[in-house]
Amino acid sequence: MKVLLMGHPNVGKSVVFNRLTGANVIISNYPGTTVDYTKGYMKVKGKDFTVIDVPGTFSLEAKDKAEEVAVKMLEEEKDAVVICVVDSSKIERGLYLTLEIIERGYPVILALNMWDIAQDKSIHIDAEKLENILGIPVIPTIAINGKGIKDLVSKIKDATPVETDKILEKVGGKE
Amino acid sequence: MNEKYNLGSVYFGILGVVALVCGIADLVVVAGGDSFSWGILEIPSDPFRGGWGGLIILFAGLFYLYSIKNFSEIHHFSKAVMGSILVWVIAGCDILAMITESIPGGEEGGWFNTLEGFLGTYAPPYAPAIFLLPFSLVIIYHLHKRGGTNADMEE
Amino acid sequence: MKLTVDERWDLIEKISKETVIFGVYKHTVKDAIGELTVKPLTGIPIAFAVLYGFWSFFGSFAGFFTDGFFVKLFDEHWLPWLQDVFPGGLGNWFYAIMVDAGHMENGILVASDNCFESFGVLTSGFFLAIGVVLPAIIAFYLILTLLEDTGYMPRLAVLIDTVLHKIGLHGFAIVPTILSLGCNVPAVTASRILETKKQRFIMMTLLAIFIPCGAQLGIMEEVIPDTIGFVLLYLFTGYFILGFILHKVLPGKSPEILIDVPPYQMPMLRDVAMKLWMRVKGFFKIAIPFVLLGCIIVNILYLANIIDWLANVLSPVLSGWFGVPKETVGPLIAAFLRKDLAVAQLSAIEMTKYQMITSVVLVSIYFPCVATFMMLLKEGWKDLLGSIAVLALVVFLYGGLLHLIWILLGVA
Repeated sequence: MKVLLMGHPNVGKSVVFNRLTGANVIISNYPGTTVDYTKGYMKVKGKDFTVIDVPGTFSLEAKDKAEEVAVKMLEEEKDAVVICVVDSSKIERGLYLTLEIIERGYPVILALNMWDIAQDKSIHIDAEKLENILGIPVIPTIAINGKGIKDLVSKIKDATPVETDKILEKVGGKE
Repeated sequence: MNEKYNLGSVYFGILGVVALVCGIADLVVVAGGDSFSWGILEIPSDPFRGGWGGLIILFAGLFYLYSIKNFSEIHHFSKAVMGSILVWVIAGCDILAMITESIPGGEEGGWFNTLEGFLGTYAPPYAPAIFLLPFSLVIIYHLHKRGGTNADMEE
Repeated sequence: MKLTVDERWDLIEKISKETVIFGVYKHTVKDAIGELTVKPLTGIPIAFAVLYGFWSFFGSFAGFFTDGFFVKLFDEHWLPWLQDVFPGGLGNWFYAIMVDAGHMENGILVASDNCFESFGVLTSGFFLAIGVVLPAIIAFYLILTLLEDTGYMPRLAVLIDTVLHKIGLHGFAIVPTILSLGCNVPAVTASRILETKKQRFIMMTLLAIFIPCGAQLGIMEEVIPDTIGFVLLYLFTGYFILGFILHKVLPGKSPEILIDVPPYQMPMLRDVAMKLWMRVKGFFKIAIPFVLLGCIIVNILYLANIIDWLANVLSPVLSGWFGVPKETVGPLIAAFLRKDLAVAQLSAIEMTKYQMITSVVLVSIYFPCVATFMMLLKEGWKDLLGSIAVLALVVFLYGGLLHLIWILLGVA
């Protein structure tokens, strides 16, 4: 089974990747460090997963070569589970990409990464409620020190595709 | 306004002027071409440490002087922090250069330096940045007063 | 079901209204310092200080290991020991390749007394790779990693954005440029973060021609400590001139970018150590084989008199146009394989300070090393051909210009 790590540039996908797989890919505190994809492997309860660290992309309409790699990756892996990594302090932008991926019918898990930075900026997110509305697992993480990663792993099996209608309904329908 | 901060702006005002003078002296010495010593102070004449480094000390002085305009306000205060960081960069590089010079034995000697040679490297004279270093550390006290990096002191 | 862009944002607004509370955000000293590093008036002096720290650390660290210990180890112990115990001896071809080719003095072949001149695989090869290049590369990557992980790099990108727009790039081009000062190979890959074909072509061409790599910098610090500043200045000036011309000449777009500036962070020791280790390892996988292979090939070419022959054939170009001794043909051939090797070899040739500057500049700009060449090829052969055409022109004009400057100054 394949797991894709997707999200905006510099939200810590590669850090999550390193924590998940124990592999070592280069991470930096600036966007665009990963320009090609990296594969790694992890074992959860005897099941093998291939984890792919995808270059950061703002949306599924690619603008540069690294983003093209990302979108192509997603299109090639039709039956993959996507872990959408977002910067909690910029959650709205992150949700945009998350919704795009959900709409394409992928089972998605949302990792609210950089949770600590959001708290520093006094942004409070009700993760449970978000989970309820989106109908997908939502896990706050601080990848840099490993917090929430275990939770993230245990929720991979719970991810299922969600109809956009369901989400619309929960927030009061389409206008 | 808090009295502590008034004291702070006087202190960093003086330090700023001193740093500015050091920076200018550095540049003048480099332009002159011969290194200058006075007691335990030595101003290097090479274009890297003296010229480039001197320019940065001059900038540090300017940062300090900018900051005293409104020392208690966070954006001005952080200019003083930056001034100190610049001094730390220059002094840190000078000290590291001393350390790396003090350990090996040199072309004629053995693998490691003799004890006298080792200690001798650290004897004065020093460059101006080294003299500024202890005084620049006062900023840490002020950072602490503000309650680390997260406090807000706007009144 | 798919949503339109507006519908999607609308939905996000509703979701966030129910789940997110945005508190009042107060500025911290960290934020204020972040602002200072980005605004030009305060940011440029800070960038100057960062560069100073970078260079000073590089010099101290590399000097400590190379001058402090490795020169002594290799010149006073390793070389004499090998000259003693290695079978063959001066004049023997295998001995020449592996240990010491010697050099002619008044018609007599004499042994070398240092590892810059001996040029054997076991002597110069090891000395350059381990004694000079290893400390330089570690020092370089250590600082680079710290700058990256604290979050200074994107701020530098914002700061330099306006300047780089003039050469058809944008702020983020500083990342491949600085990476390239370590090694051109990962820098070529990093240039993918640029959006258009035009930008990538400009970036890769500039990297391949004008940016010396960390190994080369390390050797230059060792061989020409007094004039390295001038050489670098000349190269970086070329970077901007050529960039400006390419930007004007080439069709295509150079779009604006929005850089997301991440908050400053305390680097994590584990991550820094890991990244440093991976980069140094990655570098040496490429470097060591080519340094050793370079020594072998150059020695064979010397022994077979091919270099002498080439030197005579190319003499009009080298001494006539560029004003350098014809013997520099050897280093120029070595530069195909490794630039650091080539600079080291130059140091063994007798010439004036100014000829030395020209030769080092020529070695730097005239052809990317094999490893970089392969990376460029991977990014597309058409672009590579274009880059090489530009390069040939630049070598002749910009290299020749330096000769002209020396003539005008009366020092040629």
